[in-house]
Amino acid sequence: MAKCMHLLAALTLLLTLACNQEEPPLKVDLSRREKTVVAPDADAITYAYLPQYSHTVSYRRHHRLVAYLARKTGLKIRQIFPDTFDEHMQMVGQGKIDISYSNPFIYVKIAHRYGARAFCRIVEADGRRDFRGQIICRADNSAIHSIADCRGKRWIAVDPGSAGGYLYPLGLFMVSGIMPADFREIAFSPGPGGKQEKVVLAVYAGKYDIGTIREGTLEVVRDKVNIGEIRVVASTPRYPGWVYAARAGLTPAVVEKIKNAMLSLDYDKAEDRRILAAASMRGILPCEDSEFDSVRSLARRVGIDLER
Amino acid sequence: MKLGFRGKIYLGIFFLLLVFGVVIFFVVSWITRGALLEENRRRGASIAVNLAARVAEPLLAADFLRMKNLVDETVLLSDDIYYAFVMDRDGRVLVHTFSDGFPVELKNANRLKPGEKISVRLLDTGKVMVNDYAVPVLIGGDRFGTVRIGLLRIRIEQATDRLLLSVFLATAFIVILAAFVGAMLARPVTRRIRILRDSTEQVLRGNLDVHTAPLLKKNCWQIMNCHNEDCPAHGDLRHRCWYLAGTMCPYCVEGDYARKISSCQKCPVYRRCSGDEIQSLAESFDSMTLSLKTNLTELQEAQKRLQEQGQLLRIILDATPDFVCLQDRDSVYLAANRAFCRLVGRSEKEIIGLTCRDLYSPRLAEKFAAEDREIIRTGKTLVKENRIRRNGELRWLHVMKIPVRNAEGRIIGLLCSSRDITEFKRVQQQLVQAQKMETVGQLTAGIAHEINTPLGIILGYAQLLLEDLQPGSQMHADLEIIERQAKVCRRIVADLLAFSRHTESRTGLVDINQAVEEVVTVLEHTFGLDRITIRRDYGEEIPPLRGDREKIKQVFINLLNNARDAIGKDGTITVATRFDPETGRVCAFVADTGGGIAPENLDRIFDPFYTTKPVDKGTGLGLSVSFGIIKEHGGTIEAESPPSRATRKTIGVEATGTAFILHFPPAVPEGQDDPRGQSAVDRRDA
Repeated sequence: MAKCMHLLAALTLLLTLACNQEEPPLKVDLSRREKTVVAPDADAITYAYLPQYSHTVSYRRHHRLVAYLARKTGLKIRQIFPDTFDEHMQMVGQGKIDISYSNPFIYVKIAHRYGARAFCRIVEADGRRDFRGQIICRADNSAIHSIADCRGKRWIAVDPGSAGGYLYPLGLFMVSGIMPADFREIAFSPGPGGKQEKVVLAVYAGKYDIGTIREGTLEVVRDKVNIGEIRVVASTPRYPGWVYAARAGLTPAVVEKIKNAMLSLDYDKAEDRRILAAASMRGILPCEDSEFDSVRSLARRVGIDLER
Repeated sequence: MKLGFRGKIYLGIFFLLLVFGVVIFFVVSWITRGALLEENRRRGASIAVNLAARVAEPLLAADFLRMKNLVDETVLLSDDIYYAFVMDRDGRVLVHTFSDGFPVELKNANRLKPGEKISVRLLDTGKVMVNDYAVPVLIGGDRFGTVRIGLLRIRIEQATDRLLLSVFLATAFIVILAAFVGAMLARPVTRRIRILRDSTEQVLRGNLDVHTAPLLKKNCWQIMNCHNEDCPAHGDLRHRCWYLAGTMCPYCVEGDYARKISSCQKCPVYRRCSGDEIQSLAESFDSMTLSLKTNLTELQEAQKRLQEQGQLLRIILDATPDFVCLQDRDSVYLAANRAFCRLVGRSEKEIIGLTCRDLYSPRLAEKFAAEDREIIRTGKTLVKENRIRRNGELRWLHVMKIPVRNAEGRIIGLLCSSRDITEFKRVQQQLVQAQKMETVGQLTAGIAHEINTPLGIILGYAQLLLEDLQPGSQMHADLEIIERQAKVCRRIVADLLAFSRHTESRTGLVDINQAVEEVVTVLEHTFGLDRITIRRDYGEEIPPLRGDREKIKQVFINLLNNARDAIGKDGTITVATRFDPETGRVCAFVADTGGGIAPENLDRIFDPFYTTKPVDKGTGLGLSVSFGIIKEHGGTIEAESPPSRATRKTIGVEATGTAFILHFPPAVPEGQDDPRGQSAVDRRDA
């Protein structure tokens, strides 16, 4: 009997020890406090990508290019992330964005408003120099088969400043005789960043009947939705593609350095190809402001005031 | 105090359950505590990872307001989230949830190593325990900053305490329930073991009529719908049929348990009636006691038979007049019969263990020991005759010493059997004498034959001369003496011739009553002169005998003459005949009222030339002749003096002298063997 009790006691002790295998805690004194102050960013050339996608997508696409430019030019270049198209434009105007990478519609606005000047344009990932917008709906939406069917429907566009996601489709609708007033509702992607994706998600969710996006967005959201359930109703005519513009007042030598660095990217070089592919482009070409007159013309046609 | 089996089981169950409970308590506590901690870690990690994901955008946009909102919202998620803060890639705190400055020591309390996805560290603030989670803010594989959140351990500890209490209560409940169920299960087991123990004690006390196995709801004959009441299993409520030999079920294999059990195991009765191990034990115990009882009874009977046989053997050994003893290889006595004990004058108990040296003189003992050694060496039986003096009388012993061998043929001792052949020796001497007498008889017969003619001439001439002489003259008187003595001589010679001559038998069927009556008729008148009457007592329906009528008549003449000589004057001779249907023998009695024969002479009366009569009255050959004739007829003759009670009762008179009893075998048809002849010869030889 005594043996049994000893055995039981030993077992209990063993189990108790076995149950306490946690690491010892680290003593931390929380009473000592300090004020947190964020140091200001060092002076650098700021590079911003119009927030048509989320900041993380923007970062992933352009951080290599930014690093390349800094390395190539020897300049300090930092990518910044404005939350909205308007903020982007304002920051160009405020001089907070030195190099703006935007769609041609925004460019013509900032060129018009703040004197920004285009110095490069990109070749799209598919090799085209221009791009277009797309009108999408749910694949199972039997009420919409053509542009004419979009009349009276709920429309979600990317942003009033979006080219492929608003301006180009609006031009197509108006050419097709559908005025903005003919839609039951026109909405824009909410919140900051990720605006293109939000249009697809809103149509996918069925909240809106049609959506307008720039071509290539469906590939971006392939991992978020089943794009088989999204149908492209129509595509707009092609317009000039995305453009690099320097804010007014930026030193021309700096612009030239950056322009040259961009132009020296060769898609046939493996290293450069990785940079360009990450940015979803095939190459960068020099350009002039006049190349975007078609966009200015379209804006006028659809009644958009570049000042607003 | 010694614990009983039930107590041990209860204690064992209690102890096991206690151990089980303790182990379960600790193991479950350990596992659940670990699971809770892991869950807490995952939860903290999930919150931190989620915050890191959400903070990426505002971090890139340097949107401190959004970041601040995010960390505040995170802390509000649960009351056990103590803090949350975001650091940039240089380790500077961008936003935090502390209201009064950021704790200096907290910044480096949980450093995230390069490439590490999460780091969890237990922090002790002195007031509370905090699990600190550090997760990197990664964008495109680049680390932009770190998110840290702190989860209070109090909640997990409270949950753990609640869990431990629940586990403790549940374990305690299970232990009590299991103890109760265990006790309930152990109770019938211990009860059945107690019954088994009681039965064992009963068996040890000699009571083999025990019933240990429980009664069945349905027995084999009910299951099989069997009505064969001759089957040993039919009606036996206490024993299972597969334990019983000789069951008559058509599916049964013949034989005992060992032979039939494999077949029985396929039987529906077995499948239905066989119980657990304890029931099987009880049933086999019952069958074992039954078998034991049967075997014991048989053993007792065998022992009794053996004892009886031993006693019988002992009686035979003791009854035999031979001196029998058994000795081992060293001549030590192992057994001795009563005759031997008497011979050496000691009891068997005294003899056993002794050797020849203890019983005989040194000279004899050495002689016997040498003989014994020789027998054991050679393995040959020793046969010899010893002459000993016993009670002053010289006795002859015929001794046989036989080597005794065991089952393997090895000599393990010797059996000594001695027989007193003193009487045999005497008879042998008599035989020698008789042979001498026979030779003398043949010589006598020759002489008598030769003497008979001149004796006849002497008698004839004496009688012629007597006719010529005047009676009363001296010459006449002398001649009468010559004539009388010559007649005596002639009678002697006639008797000698009759005794010695082997006359040709003329056998035929003889009516014994008629033959006797012819003799009696002739002798009755002569005997009447001496006032001797002959009483006739013939039996009825006596079957005829096969034999020589004249010789049989001669026997009765001799016996009647003998009776007359025994009576002298005034007496009665009874002649009787009887037939015994049981033995099939014919008996004849000749009894007289004479003086009888002295007991010491009774066994000599049939000897030749033995007579108690005066010289001129008898030759001593009459009874010998008669004995020979009866033997020739396959019968017997015996004399009783005085007659026995049975004889007197048979012939119905109070004869006081001598009674001769003759037994004849009845006649059988010619050419047919007498089935009783062999037994008659046997008896005659005996």
